[in-house]
Amino acid sequence: MFGHVFSYRLKCLLRNREQVFWTLLFPLLLATFFYFAFGHLTSEREKFETVKVAVIDNQAYREEVHLQQMLAALSTEGEGQMLELTVTDEAEAEKLLEEGAVAGIVTAGESVGLTVKQSGLKQSILKAVLDEYAYIVRTTAGIISENPAAARRLVKELEKRPTYTEAVSFSGVPPDTMLAYFYALIAMACLYSSFWSLQNTIDLQADLSARGARRSAAPTHKLKVVLSDTLAALTISFAEVLVLLVYLAVGLQVSFGNQVGYILLTCLAGCLVGVSFGNLIGTVIRGSEGIKRGILIGGSLTLCYLAGLMWVDMKYIIATRVPLLAYINPAALITDAFYSLYIFDSHHRFYLNIGLLCLLSALMSLLSFLRLRGERYGSI
Amino acid sequence: MLISVHNLVKRYGNLLALNHFHLQVERGEIVGLLGPNGSGKTTAINCILALLKYDKGEIKLFGKPMTPQAYDSKQKIGLVMQNVAVFDELRVEENIDYFCGLYIRDRARRRLLVQEAIDFVGLGDFCRFYPKKLSGGLLRRLNIACGLAHKPELLIFDEPTVGVDPQSRNSILEGIRELNRRGATVVYTSHYMEEVEQLCSRIVIMDQGKTLATGTTEELKALINQGETINVEIYMLEPEQLARIRQLPHVTRAHYAHDRLAVHYDGGEHNLLELLDYLKSQDISFSRVFSEQPTLNDVFLEITGRQLRD
Repeated sequence: MFGHVFSYRLKCLLRNREQVFWTLLFPLLLATFFYFAFGHLTSEREKFETVKVAVIDNQAYREEVHLQQMLAALSTEGEGQMLELTVTDEAEAEKLLEEGAVAGIVTAGESVGLTVKQSGLKQSILKAVLDEYAYIVRTTAGIISENPAAARRLVKELEKRPTYTEAVSFSGVPPDTMLAYFYALIAMACLYSSFWSLQNTIDLQADLSARGARRSAAPTHKLKVVLSDTLAALTISFAEVLVLLVYLAVGLQVSFGNQVGYILLTCLAGCLVGVSFGNLIGTVIRGSEGIKRGILIGGSLTLCYLAGLMWVDMKYIIATRVPLLAYINPAALITDAFYSLYIFDSHHRFYLNIGLLCLLSALMSLLSFLRLRGERYGSI
Repeated sequence: MLISVHNLVKRYGNLLALNHFHLQVERGEIVGLLGPNGSGKTTAINCILALLKYDKGEIKLFGKPMTPQAYDSKQKIGLVMQNVAVFDELRVEENIDYFCGLYIRDRARRRLLVQEAIDFVGLGDFCRFYPKKLSGGLLRRLNIACGLAHKPELLIFDEPTVGVDPQSRNSILEGIRELNRRGATVVYTSHYMEEVEQLCSRIVIMDQGKTLATGTTEELKALINQGETINVEIYMLEPEQLARIRQLPHVTRAHYAHDRLAVHYDGGEHNLLELLDYLKSQDISFSRVFSEQPTLNDVFLEITGRQLRD
């Protein structure tokens, strides 16, 4: 029975050309569009990674030899250049900051100060650099005052430190800011799995379709039908996301790193949450098929927008200003899972994202089932 | 008793859709639920099938309470709905196989049943067609095949001929009779009194969610005090002559309009002869004469004061 319902459900879904267009061809077209429209951003973004900074040329700065050395090292021209330094007087520095020519002003003194006009990635980089400098200075001073004998070993340890640019290396693959768009696109494709499961719920409920009434009148346990239908939707959507992934990797030469197993796991979890989302909208939201479809399309696109699909900085803004939303937005969790695979060597954050996706999926499935369990309808 | 519905009440907000509705169906019967649109026929069917919640009452099928989990009872039921309930993405053969597969697990047996259903509804030449390529009549036949392929003991047809051409309608009705001859019990809802009269061994007249009358066609007609109606085309009839006609034996009513005289009788055996004799004796010239037996519409009119098709 399970196989019978599953195989016919696969046929039904696969022969629905409109759905196939939106769930498979549309993401492929969008990927191609992104590639050609935003492809040039990659090189520009790499240039942006050189953060322009003004340093006030005062007595304190001239005495801070270590600070000078660190800043000089970070602004040495070459592949690993992180900063572009302008050493100038206070008035000129403020002018540069006002004009947006520099991201911040470094002021040496008892403690090293940073003045910025706005918050953002470049400012965060500057802050991180200066924080680390302050930390090293503090630690070194502490160790030397408490245990002067350890000073030699400390110097050796410090010498061992890699350069700053090497310290933020990306798990063996070069950084590519375009990936943010492609991650969000994959998240969208995963959430579009919900279209399949919404169709399932419409074909299952007697108050939504005549087919639903006929199926409800049949002597088949509803849970069995729900599971077969859901598995069919999951199979198709996972296959579609794989096609998208292969197209991105092979056709558009987008590098996703080398952790294929984890990438597939992310896609599967993404599709699962997408299917559950469709089930939830299809069962819990009261209203006609049109209303449900409208809510589903609007909902998926909003979630993808918040995850950076249309404007990649949105994900950063949400993560910093409304972090809770980032934890309950499945699209953000999917993109973050990809990010964490790409950026971090540790899988801690990846598993957190996958865990949250599974939790969301379980929650949505539970709500859907509770709604479906009342198998008699108020009106048909 | 195959179906036993007792005191069923169903409300949609303030609207009382079923008002203490009763229905009893014996094995082998073809029972027709006759009533105008909105009289509660489909609501009653949906409650019987445990698809719809109801406020009060008791429903038993095959002697057991009907619930959504009554899989044993559901196994023996075939449903043909008013709206065509098939998948547009599946071919004719696949649709029948899919719905049959919800009842029959054995593939070999199912293959035979599907073929029988296809032959029964005459869709042999359209097996590979998608539903969208079928005409309205053929689509209805597919809808029927999907409901009966598993050979149920009880078949429920909810207005299966709405929007169907006369030829397909006759074919559908003949098919239902054949199924009944093969042993199936049939519940048939319709607002077409001719269909119900032609097909059903027993009729339940419904209106506003209530059972108004139950019986065979003859029993229902006997409920009203009306015999035949004789219609005569007359081009000129004086009011005095009409008044005299009203005084003829067994005449209950007579009216003349649009060159037609309609005379209603409450009985009598030679009404036509007596009327014609009278017209001749008065030198009233007439052309066409025809007699009408009372219809279920007359029964409905008598009981409710409204036409069945109001």
